[in-house]
Amino acid sequence: MTLRYCRGILNSISGPSTSIFTHKGTIPAGIKGARMSRDKCNHSWTMTDVKYGFIVTEKCYHCNLVRTYFTFEEAPPKEEYKEGAHYWNYEGSAQSIKFNMRCGQCSKVVTFEDLMGLMQCMACDEACHVNIISQICEAQNIWVYAGLAYKSGKEIDLPAEKLDVLTTYFTSRLRTPGKKILVLPGSLRRNPETCRGEILKDVGMVSLTPET
Amino acid sequence: MTVRELESKLKFKPLNQIYDKEIDGAFISDMVSDVMAGAKAGNLWVTLQTHKNIAAAANLVDLAAIIIVRGKKVPEDTLQMADRAKLTLFATDEDTYQVAVKLYEAGIKPGK
Repeated sequence: MTLRYCRGILNSISGPSTSIFTHKGTIPAGIKGARMSRDKCNHSWTMTDVKYGFIVTEKCYHCNLVRTYFTFEEAPPKEEYKEGAHYWNYEGSAQSIKFNMRCGQCSKVVTFEDLMGLMQCMACDEACHVNIISQICEAQNIWVYAGLAYKSGKEIDLPAEKLDVLTTYFTSRLRTPGKKILVLPGSLRRNPETCRGEILKDVGMVSLTPET
Repeated sequence: MTVRELESKLKFKPLNQIYDKEIDGAFISDMVSDVMAGAKAGNLWVTLQTHKNIAAAANLVDLAAIIIVRGKKVPEDTLQMADRAKLTLFATDEDTYQVAVKLYEAGIKPGK
């Protein structure tokens, strides 16, 4: 995924003269594809099917692999368990939500079962594409959030159409003139394992999150 | 009512610069996920949460300001994040109920 996708989506909300992708940073490997073509409906998205659950982080102490998943269980599971060659141990959790988007005009539903959360860049890595794009965009009052998605414990990118839906939806909720939201793929982070971006979740909700 | 009028009328203590915006209703929750799902642009958020992602969430939804109740100490990185998002944070020793009553009496209704 795809700087080209980002260029397309930014052009659509900011006009083709936007210059953020003329930055001379390294373009990430694996660029392919462009954003999906638009439907004929001029969608008006609303958040639907909101369900509360927990984002759980676990770590294999044999190979130090860290992975994250979402659970709808009443409390995050903390038991160590073996899966293949890995011994997974509970690292932490925070309450969050899952949701889908429904178009109020054509009733189309876009599901976000793989979306773990939205992350705002904290500028921890000067060479990270999310940081570079964030800094340039913020000067234009465009606020960048990375849509982090996981499938079977592995991080994946949301399809371009879904990133587009999130961008459109959150931008449509704004009131401040000129302000926009841009949701980018998580793979634009240079190093997800050391990324210190702020994921929007209920950190420190000790009344709801059982103590570790 | 604007954020600046809120400060002068109800005497909540600003923790950072005042970014004057029009207030359109109040939203009370201690869950960031509630704000993402249910708050509306222009709402005034009342919470006891102080983590910096309250500013990230408020910015995503375009809230007018945040009131942090019960005298919770607000970390420096939360204030920095709020300034980055041009979002005013207020503090008060009062609890959520007392703040809600004050807001209601000042004409700020539940955010919808």
